[in-house]
Amino acid sequence: MNILYLLIPLALLLLGVAVWIFFWAVGSGQFDDLDTPAMRIVMDDDTKPDDESSE
Amino acid sequence: MSHSDCFHCALPVPPNEEFQVEIDGKLKAVCCPGCKAVAELIRDSGMSNYYTMRDAPTPGVGRPADDQAEWQVFDSAEMLATFATVAGDTATATIYVGKMYCTACSWLIETTLAKTSGISSANVNPITHRLSVSWDSHVLGLGGVLATLANLGYEPQPLAPESAARPEVAEQRTALKRLLVASLGMMQVMMFAIGLYAGDFQGMSGEMQTFLRVISLIVTTPVVFYSARPFFESAWRGVAARSPGMDLPVAIAIGAAYAASIYATFTNGEAVWFDSVVMFVFFLTLGRFLEMRARHRSIDRSTALSTMLPNTVTRIENGANRVVPAAQIVPGDRLLFRPGDAIAADGIITTGKTTVDEALLSGEARPQSRTGGDAVVAGSINIDGAIEVEVRATGGNTALGMISRLSERARYARPAFVQLADRIASYIVVAILFIAAVVAISWYLYSPERAFVVTLSVLVVTCPCALALATPAAFAAAGTRLAELQLLVTNGNAIEVLSRATTVLFDKTGTLTRGTPVITATQVVERVFNESQCLRYAAALETISTHPIANAFVARDTAIVATDQRVAVGDGVEGTIDGQRWRLGRHDYAAPDAMIPAADARNGTRVFLGADGQLIAVFTLADELRPGTAETLQKLEALGLRLGLVSGDSDDAVRTTAGALAIENYHAACSPGDKLDIIHRMQGAGDVVVMVGDGINDAPVLAGADTSVAPSHGAMLAQTSADIVMPGESLEPLATGVRAARQTMRIVRQNLAWAIVYNATALPLAAMGHVPPWAAAIGMSASSLIVVLNALRLSRYA
Repeated sequence: MNILYLLIPLALLLLGVAVWIFFWAVGSGQFDDLDTPAMRIVMDDDTKPDDESSE
Repeated sequence: MSHSDCFHCALPVPPNEEFQVEIDGKLKAVCCPGCKAVAELIRDSGMSNYYTMRDAPTPGVGRPADDQAEWQVFDSAEMLATFATVAGDTATATIYVGKMYCTACSWLIETTLAKTSGISSANVNPITHRLSVSWDSHVLGLGGVLATLANLGYEPQPLAPESAARPEVAEQRTALKRLLVASLGMMQVMMFAIGLYAGDFQGMSGEMQTFLRVISLIVTTPVVFYSARPFFESAWRGVAARSPGMDLPVAIAIGAAYAASIYATFTNGEAVWFDSVVMFVFFLTLGRFLEMRARHRSIDRSTALSTMLPNTVTRIENGANRVVPAAQIVPGDRLLFRPGDAIAADGIITTGKTTVDEALLSGEARPQSRTGGDAVVAGSINIDGAIEVEVRATGGNTALGMISRLSERARYARPAFVQLADRIASYIVVAILFIAAVVAISWYLYSPERAFVVTLSVLVVTCPCALALATPAAFAAAGTRLAELQLLVTNGNAIEVLSRATTVLFDKTGTLTRGTPVITATQVVERVFNESQCLRYAAALETISTHPIANAFVARDTAIVATDQRVAVGDGVEGTIDGQRWRLGRHDYAAPDAMIPAADARNGTRVFLGADGQLIAVFTLADELRPGTAETLQKLEALGLRLGLVSGDSDDAVRTTAGALAIENYHAACSPGDKLDIIHRMQGAGDVVVMVGDGINDAPVLAGADTSVAPSHGAMLAQTSADIVMPGESLEPLATGVRAARQTMRIVRQNLAWAIVYNATALPLAAMGHVPPWAAAIGMSASSLIVVLNALRLSRYA
């Protein structure tokens, strides 16, 4: 059971990293629009695969 | 869409027109060269999908902008600095896209821009109508981007970075972070809690137990101090304002459970409640997040003030004219407005004489005469003379700005119904605190070691969140759904009143009818010409006119060109075609000596077309019923509503309309006072009256009715006094709106009943000590969630 003393703090560290990444993603505006991505999936362009406009 | 409607914009195709577009191998009729050009552009770009994907063809959409030169001003480096942020070669700007109606529009814009050389990315949010676009500033100017949008028929409006930043975005970002911290924290703490519970059954070393508790404490701390912070702040505000809100018991429960758990952790106490704390915070944060999203959605995007004003104006600088963006003008500037220009600011005419159309502000459809020294207001249209104006007020300080602020405020005001629920909730909070104190004292006397746990459960389980959420959640969801159904609710009370309505009164002009004249009959006097030719000649003459009647003769054929055109104010227009002098307008102007032919059976305004004084044709213009009006009225009647027609129009005209729509109860030639009397009489008899109308004359009438609806292309002022605004062309949303309002009130009643039953059952159980804190947290959260989910059913209501 002693391994828990290592694994749980490690898990907390990963948790901290995950939160930090998420905060960064929110801050950079990736979650500002929660509506369009849901619709974007039905709007694919069958004539020509285009580049940067879709993410 | 009927056979005679334009395939592209759904406006009726004028008779005798043969513009066609081939889409997917089929010939489709369109109404004008503009629509033909746009439809072909869409087809040739391989984007015919637009037509299958759009929700509904929207009238008037997709007509290309006439004036391309307007956009060139935006190509300067100065403009780029004002409206865009430049990093290296790449410029990024936010553009408000007016006249955009559905998801298909955002697809069309994004795909078209992505194919435009120089543009690297384009993202449109169809909810907020904002386009975020990046492009190579060496290849393309801002004006080029705007012109591309204008070519598609939209009305772009570049936003300065400060106005592009919206408070909702910051609010949503914070809320998302709080929600994520709470949810990740909850998952972790629940995992440790399972370990601790297992330890209770299977045995666990004291050292390990303390370790798991300390870890739980570490994870819970940011959840309490970051995610739950709004609850503490709001609880404190309530206390400071001496009106305790529902967040007070929440804050006490979170704070007390957290503090007691820390104490237990370091004194090796019996139990910790970190799991209850995080679960409680998570569900509350989730509920708040959903509520916030519903609120943001209902923020109206169609009445943004800036979209009513022109993008550019002509400023007189040291005697020279210079085109500048409207955002740059300040009071004291002297501006030049040519015929047809929209006036960009409030000001005083210094030189010139003209007539202006102030329908947007005053609802007065007739053009008003203005001369030197008179005031003109932003948002009106300069009709027929060039004027110089000294600016007195711009932007938010104009009369138009004031009006939009008023309607903005109305939108944020909380309906009386919700305020009542808030007041009741604050009494309940006091009662809960009192009951909790009684429970704590009783248990302390009876069994001191359980007193804290039981009191905690009582505080958590009785949280009146469900009660407090019951009404606003339903109203927020209903507001969103109604906006999707083309009904914008500006006053929350309107939903409640609409659900109780017994009578609907309609105004005639502009409400049951379109409000803009269309050609209903053409009598050709001189048989040398046919009907189609007459219409084309008239259209060619009208190209220089900005009079409302000219809209009925939209340019149909560019092959016929009138030269030497002149507007005779109040009489008509004239021009030379094929060497003959043609005149269109009043009888004594177009062909003074000709006999007037007998009137057509249909009522309406008659416009005469003459060539060299000889009468060629007579057009009858009349106001048509809106499409689908009869069906809508039938639906309203089927809902048990009585219908009535009140109009200031003449008896004949009103009787014809009432007859056509089978309305038995009609009143003609009513002054606004008469209309108000009729409403008061009905209200005296116990009726709940909904008034549907527009125009300034109706403003007091709309205010006098129990609730009011205004079709939005009507006068701006009528919109502000109306509780509900209908931006669409059809009256159809009204019937759906009444049904949705009734459903909303049903859901509010269900929610309130559920919340009361839940609290009434849970309180005695918790007070008797049968509910552990974690179960109380689940119960409270689940009861709130049920209320929110029940309310969200409305967003699917059709």
